[in-house]
Amino acid sequence: MRNPFRRRSALDLSPGAKVLSYVLLLGWTFVVLFPIYWLAVTSLKLPIQVNSGPVFFPFIDFQPTLENWRYIFVDLRNDTVRPYINTVVVGLSSAIIALALGSSAAYALVRFHYRPRIGLIGLFAGCVLLAAVAIGLGAPWQIVVVSALGVFLILAQTIGRRFRGRGLGNSDIAFWLISQRMLPPVAVVIPLYVLFQRVGLLDTWWALIITYVATNLPIVVWLMRDYFSTVPVELEESAAVDGASPYRIFRSIVIPVAVPGLVATFLFVLVFAWNEYLLALFLSSANAQTLPITVAAQNATRGPQWWYMSVLIMIMIVPVILMAIALERYISRGILVGAVKG
Amino acid sequence: MWPALAVVLFLSIFPLVVSLYLSLSRLSFAKSGFEITFIGPTNYQTLLFGGERTHFIGVLKTPSPIGWAIFAVVVVLVGWAFTRAVRGGVRPLGLLLRAIGGLLLVGLIWLFVQAVFAPGGRPGTVFVTLIYVFIGLTIQYVLGLGLAMLATQRLPGRRFFRVVFLLPMMITPVGVGYMFQMLTDTSKGPFLPVFAALGMEGFTWVTDPWGARIAVMIGDIWQWTPFMFIVLLAALEGLDVEVTEAALVDGASRSQVFRYITLPALLPVSTTIVLIRMIEGFKIIDLPNILTNGGPGTATESMTLQAFIDWRTFNLGRSAATAYLLLILVTIVATAYVNLVRRRVTTTV
Amino acid sequence: MAKGRSLKGGGLLASVMLVAVACTSAASPSPSPAPSAAPSAAASASAAASPSGQNFSGVSVTVLTFTGPQIAEPLQRRAPDFAKLTGADIKVVTVPFNELYQKILTDIATGTNAYQAFVFDPQWMGDFVTPGYLEDLTDRVKSDPVLKWDDIGAFFRDFSATYQGKVYTIPLDGDFHMVYYRKDILDKDGVKPPATWDDYLAVAKQYSGKDLNGDGQPDYGSCISKKRGAQAYWWITSIAGPYIQAKGTNEGAFFTTDNMTPLVKNEAFARALDIYKESTKYGPPNESNLDVGDTRGLFTSGRCALSMDWGDIGTLAIDPATSKVQDKVGSIITPGAKQILDRSTMKLVPCDQTTCPNMGSDGVNHAPFAAYGGWSGAINAKADQKVKDAAYAFLAYMSAPEQSNVDVTIGKTGFNPYRTSQFSSTAEWVKAGMSEAAAKDYLGAIETSLKSPNMILDLRIPKTQEYQQVDLDKALAQFLAGELSRDETMSQVFDAWQSLTDSLGRDKQLEAYKNSLGVQR
Repeated sequence: MRNPFRRRSALDLSPGAKVLSYVLLLGWTFVVLFPIYWLAVTSLKLPIQVNSGPVFFPFIDFQPTLENWRYIFVDLRNDTVRPYINTVVVGLSSAIIALALGSSAAYALVRFHYRPRIGLIGLFAGCVLLAAVAIGLGAPWQIVVVSALGVFLILAQTIGRRFRGRGLGNSDIAFWLISQRMLPPVAVVIPLYVLFQRVGLLDTWWALIITYVATNLPIVVWLMRDYFSTVPVELEESAAVDGASPYRIFRSIVIPVAVPGLVATFLFVLVFAWNEYLLALFLSSANAQTLPITVAAQNATRGPQWWYMSVLIMIMIVPVILMAIALERYISRGILVGAVKG
Repeated sequence: MWPALAVVLFLSIFPLVVSLYLSLSRLSFAKSGFEITFIGPTNYQTLLFGGERTHFIGVLKTPSPIGWAIFAVVVVLVGWAFTRAVRGGVRPLGLLLRAIGGLLLVGLIWLFVQAVFAPGGRPGTVFVTLIYVFIGLTIQYVLGLGLAMLATQRLPGRRFFRVVFLLPMMITPVGVGYMFQMLTDTSKGPFLPVFAALGMEGFTWVTDPWGARIAVMIGDIWQWTPFMFIVLLAALEGLDVEVTEAALVDGASRSQVFRYITLPALLPVSTTIVLIRMIEGFKIIDLPNILTNGGPGTATESMTLQAFIDWRTFNLGRSAATAYLLLILVTIVATAYVNLVRRRVTTTV
Repeated sequence: MAKGRSLKGGGLLASVMLVAVACTSAASPSPSPAPSAAPSAAASASAAASPSGQNFSGVSVTVLTFTGPQIAEPLQRRAPDFAKLTGADIKVVTVPFNELYQKILTDIATGTNAYQAFVFDPQWMGDFVTPGYLEDLTDRVKSDPVLKWDDIGAFFRDFSATYQGKVYTIPLDGDFHMVYYRKDILDKDGVKPPATWDDYLAVAKQYSGKDLNGDGQPDYGSCISKKRGAQAYWWITSIAGPYIQAKGTNEGAFFTTDNMTPLVKNEAFARALDIYKESTKYGPPNESNLDVGDTRGLFTSGRCALSMDWGDIGTLAIDPATSKVQDKVGSIITPGAKQILDRSTMKLVPCDQTTCPNMGSDGVNHAPFAAYGGWSGAINAKADQKVKDAAYAFLAYMSAPEQSNVDVTIGKTGFNPYRTSQFSSTAEWVKAGMSEAAAKDYLGAIETSLKSPNMILDLRIPKTQEYQQVDLDKALAQFLAGELSRDETMSQVFDAWQSLTDSLGRDKQLEAYKNSLGVQR
């Protein structure tokens, strides 16, 4: 048993350090909150109040107005609500899928050793590429995908067995994954556009979800790999001795221990998909447009419409903040300690 | 494992190859839609040696003494690392790779001091990007770590701070760009009274190259410190409290605990987030694009922004070439980082 | 894990995933918006008929433009009215202003054709018409009683909407630069509004640092938005224009029409760069980072004595939500010059009857710049015939005087006057909140510019955006930031334009340039 009193005294800060900590924390809080406060007050100003020099406090140095909020919610109505729904659906589903796929991949990379052969990888990449080119040239994509997979499986089963390549390791797979994020979006957006156009998925949720899952997976894999590697392997081994299946071990031992990491990663990929601009701009138009595009659209021929933009940004961050508040408690010591204690 | 790989593979190989081909061609519009004409490495040539050279690499002049000093330090360091590798009995292939890497690094630094630490020199988009990445990364990491340490202390109200500190990350980068444009505006922004009080009414930071770069970096740091913060916070929470506690009880000072217990335990995840932020940081675009559109002149233009400006006018070839050069640069820097730093501190690379 | 097995598993998993994607996409409704041309009751959908006489029920048209309220608002507001008249279903889809060009070109070039009509910048016609993306509207407009083609200002009709003698767009808006000044202040001091760019600088200098809005703070003599990647390359053309072009619109202000020599490396352009830089001294300290939205805000809140802008300030200045300068604004044609470029020597020579045939009685050559050319509607050549008819009818309906003459007086539409009938009466303007005098003044300035035979047409050749937005704009920003000297700036733009022209084919580009100017070969 631990002794709560002794522990408390050892970990607690001295009064002086406490004051200093508070000063620092409050200082950064101000740095973080002031720009957001400025957004909030700007959303209550008329253009004339924004343009004629700074005013800071509603009712004190300017008369606030709800005109901008009215414009966004009443005049624009559907042009605000539809992107909002799109953003929620695309953000949440892509984050969940990326987390599910990515964390299992990360766990596999930590616990198992893969030695894929270059030849087979090249073969698979080649098949994917051929399929993509064929689709790009206008072949019906369903047939192309099925036949490409068929070709790959046949080749892998026959010639594939004879490949004698230098073996790669887990680290190469991981590095290859993260390297997929190195090409800036401007370079991939037109090819992706053509790809989704040929598959007929442009301007649908699916195009955005698939893209965000693919772009976010490397981050999930990398972050979760580090969290999983801190899980003591003994726990799993003893469970394995008790006859638990790998899947069960993963679900009921590894996952609970890695909850803080999962939550942090989830928040990150959610935010990323929530806020992504360039890919969303091209893969969507009327139906699947997301909110960042609405925000950017407030800068048109008349220059940035700060007041409308502020409203949009405010309503955009509210759900994510609520989610952060709800999830914050999972990033806390108690759960983790409890889990490790089993 | 495999589903993840398949998804990434499926959506990355095709764009990767298409971009490579585009970077070697010119796109024009034609009756049937568009035509892609293969023109060889012309786009790369323009960027590296031709008309875009001063834009991409910079205006190079003889370095100042500081520049020479920096260059000398780097040369000595690289030479030292290389001799160590020779003595350490690295295989010939490894030596060759290291020699190439070392030479690339020395060359890059030579260009860097000529552009940045030289009177009359001017950094092009490559070096502006590198400046953003390395300065931004350092400050973000230090701030994120400090804040995560503070937020794990047993202080009342820490949950409030934790949520608040996450906020900047949640605003769409486009929005952050416009927000900072509002904040940095010195004719109607909120800091006008502050400048007025300091007697600097006419001051503006967006017309001075370094002022503008700093404005961009402040925005970048403001937005992405939370990323460092949340990951380090989760890692700190994952540490075994009892080890720390035992050390403190045994009379270790807090700085000793930090140096010998906390920091080593944070290293694996630290190297990961630094790598991720490095890769993301190289793609910085929204802030310079919105805040200054790359101005004054080309002072704040990043490589991605340069690619974007070409792309916006359908010069897809040069845009893809810029993107590919960025890819090469990031690959070199990231590989060097993984080999030099990450493999030393973690076993899971 | 065994090597072979693991990869086989991978392949299988991948196939499962892709099949899953395939199923879901098959289940979701196809995004293709191309409507089936439903058999229509009206057997002949002649373009000559009035929209009310046509029946487009079942036809749906997707129109792409940028996110308003400007431009998109009137389209969205009037679409239901048009539906009542004809039964056509008009969907207005919007994307951010900055990405409109990319979005339209990507859509057509890749064969997506999700949009059947566009309301866009006619300056882009060079890129759109050459590959045959746009429908030729010549026959439709000439015989249309609804549209009243001849009422549209000659410049917009014959140059802006026309390419190589054929009409491709229907003007909905008139865009050109004007200069606005604080009438109350200049009148009080007995200062005449600037006639030349030298006068402009003198007035700007006089009011720089003076308090213009009564808040005790020093204000600015001149506000011109010089941010990079914004409008800078248009302003420089407005300044250089009167020094470069004097013999009428089809002389052209960007290249020589004999061998496509860029007109950016000569005494005229040097003079324009000097003026451009000097005006910065009398502007806000961060003028080089201001967008036109910022300068409009500054001018309408009373902080600038002079500003160059499109027609927008005129309507914005009367709106109490945005303006502190109601009825204090005067507008004039953009200043001119008393010297003109001699294209054989590339030197400036004084203006006289031969060198400047269009100059006014005061000896000043004006060359108002129709920057942007005004938002115009165009139709995708790949659309179905019935859809094209409906799209045309809608655009003609929007442009018809009954609708347009009201819309141009409403600030938020972003539509500025472009029809002769819009100058004949000040009634609509007074109704919108202008004083009689201000309306006369505003319309007068517009009319003077519009009637000028020496109006400058925007550069409209393939890759226009690259010439202007990349090469010229970047060099201007570098010049302003001191990265380049005046002569280096001119050389850089000159070389970049030359090499771009060569890479695209000099003859092809020259032909396109002449076509855009309507020059006969």
